[in-house]
Amino acid sequence: MKDQTTYDAIVIGSGITGGWAAKELTEKGLKTLVLEAGRPIVPEEDYVEHVPAWEMKFRGARDRRRQLQDQPIQSTCYACDEWSAKFFVSDKEHPYTTDPDKPFRWIRGRQVGGRSIVWGRQVYRWSDLDFEANLREGIAIDWPIRYADLAPWYDYVEDFIGITGEALGLPQLPDSRFLPPMELNCAELLVRDAVAKHFGPERVLTIGRAAILTRDHGTRSACHYCGPCERGCITRSYFSSVNATLPAAEKTGRMTLRPYSVVHSLDFDSRSRRATGVRVIDAKSRASLEFRAKAIFLCASALESVRILLNSSTPEFPNGLANSSGELGHNLMDHVKSGGASATIPGNEDRMVMGRRPNGIYVPRFRNVKTKQTGFLRGYGFQGGGHREGWERGIHQTGFGAEFKKSISQPGPWRFLFGGYGECLPNHNNYVELDKQTVDAWGIPALKIHCAFGENELAIRKDMSITAAEMLAAAGAHDIEPFADDEPPGFSIHEMGTARMGRDPKTSVLNSFNQAHDIKNLFITDGGAMVSSSCVNPSLTYMALTARACDYALQQMKKGEL
Amino acid sequence: MKRREALRLLATGTALQLAPHRLFAVLREARKLVETQTAPRTLNAHQNATVKVMADLLIPTTDTPGASDVGVSEFVDLMLTEWYDEPDRSRFLNGLGEVDLRTQALFGTNFIEASADRQGEILTWLGQKMTAEVPPVLRPRSATPHAGSKNFYSMFRQLTLTAYYTSEAGATNALHYEIIPESHSGCVEVPTAKGGAQNQ
Repeated sequence: MKDQTTYDAIVIGSGITGGWAAKELTEKGLKTLVLEAGRPIVPEEDYVEHVPAWEMKFRGARDRRRQLQDQPIQSTCYACDEWSAKFFVSDKEHPYTTDPDKPFRWIRGRQVGGRSIVWGRQVYRWSDLDFEANLREGIAIDWPIRYADLAPWYDYVEDFIGITGEALGLPQLPDSRFLPPMELNCAELLVRDAVAKHFGPERVLTIGRAAILTRDHGTRSACHYCGPCERGCITRSYFSSVNATLPAAEKTGRMTLRPYSVVHSLDFDSRSRRATGVRVIDAKSRASLEFRAKAIFLCASALESVRILLNSSTPEFPNGLANSSGELGHNLMDHVKSGGASATIPGNEDRMVMGRRPNGIYVPRFRNVKTKQTGFLRGYGFQGGGHREGWERGIHQTGFGAEFKKSISQPGPWRFLFGGYGECLPNHNNYVELDKQTVDAWGIPALKIHCAFGENELAIRKDMSITAAEMLAAAGAHDIEPFADDEPPGFSIHEMGTARMGRDPKTSVLNSFNQAHDIKNLFITDGGAMVSSSCVNPSLTYMALTARACDYALQQMKKGEL
Repeated sequence: MKRREALRLLATGTALQLAPHRLFAVLREARKLVETQTAPRTLNAHQNATVKVMADLLIPTTDTPGASDVGVSEFVDLMLTEWYDEPDRSRFLNGLGEVDLRTQALFGTNFIEASADRQGEILTWLGQKMTAEVPPVLRPRSATPHAGSKNFYSMFRQLTLTAYYTSEAGATNALHYEIIPESHSGCVEVPTAKGGAQNQ
């Protein structure tokens, strides 16, 4: 069935970048169709952040057997809990394969809003330390843009998102346009001061920078500190497509949002050299549909967008649409984590936290910034924070009775965790292809992912455990437990790099405005576009790139170039 | 209406005609009634009684509700029936059996018929066994029941404390848990009025 409407633009995906593309394109006057593979989300019905544990069947212990059956991969994500499991896909319906010795953890959310409903909300600007790294070290290819190209777009998206944080003036981590910062807690203040005292100005502990409102912002309300953002937010205090960008797009009257629309492939017209349409399978009726538009924005995530292009081969593009470079699907990266340390921080027993702050601490990158480390290239930042232990500590104590009950009903010792997020180098040999033996629930070929961390990532992870432990030791911590766990890539849920930007069409898929070198009216603005990975959380950069690409597309349309 | 209440009502949907706070109260009461009327599915009557007595020894009723006030044994039965796999379920039921065997051997009665002092001695013995059998690395700081726990008593404590502190009575009375705290302060004195709140 063909929809006779020709839209000005089609946006594929309604997650963090699809929401931005929808907002920007509709606000600029384009009639825009947003295709989302999953179900609609109605905040008043779907959000569950205020449902207490006692109203959950397993009291927060999850429906273990069901998850083992339906979500063995998704349930490894902390946010896929008894409340929020519904915001993650069924692994049965959404298979993918890997090499036996190279596991990859692919965490997915298919619903309006995508993973922006359950994301970690940490937002950090990149700097030229990141944009120049490949060039400086002769790794992969150079970024075609620099910080100055993106800075006004960071400003632009941040003003709409609303970001809490503390300005530090660090060159390696430019400040955002901040709402007031959240408070550090007692243990964090203590560790912050110890780090400043023992490690000089190179290492700084600050409050996390998060897409959460600390005061009312536009139509959205300030955070009320209930805690579990990943279950939704009825006051729209954290940023997501559902909470912010999609309502803005809706308001223009120019958005058609179509849920249950599983994109199968794109149509390519070899005469006009344009992507002319999108083939869709209706997730419920299984009907085949087709939609047409002047411009197509792929915002389905680094892996899904590539899967669609690989499934859209033509005689001219036998290895995937817009893949004359051969780089489509290659250079897959994900931040290396699972390195750090935890400890007990003595003191402050008479003090505590009030309210559940949905944010942690941040230690900006300090390796290979001013002084060069010899063990590895690039660096990492720490997230984590302090908290007082709860009643759970009573499980392995041996006490019982009234005194025991009174004791564990009180807050326990202060604990502290540093968990690193490290840069992953681009590597052509980390790639995805279609697995023609495996199809998803709609008959679309699944991805086969070939990806493993290299020596540099493993050296970074090891260093995380050492520097985390030494900072905790400087703070007088007890029971310091360093860790460097062998977790596979995918665990950070920051997959990127599979359709990289570049100046040369022979070595890159996209130009500096996220436009496919091969197909002018095709844009990819999700994590696929990234040329390197930095060590900071990438979503803010995806959003800035998306807004910038939409602006460029409009200019090109006006010039008649699209 | 307070902001906090308004937020909560918004969150849980108020399309129904009943005044929402009444509706919740009614639903909660209805659930309690159903829970208390349902016979255990895995625990037999004696095992169920043993769990209740043990849980009340661990978390007795004081100035705040205790284990039996919040239906700990119902949660234990649910978890044994629908959450744990067979080896863990057997470990738990065998553990309960051992509690009686030990009490029989020492005092000549089943556990639930022994005096409170003697029951306490049995719990102390279970605690010593747990410390010996569960190495520190396998003592998780989070409460999620972990399949594969090798010790009956750590399973029992995990289930009992989870059932108690995640119940409405336990969370709101013993921990002063508030669904919507409204504000956040990073480092304040433990408020004496709340007897040491744990609302983080």
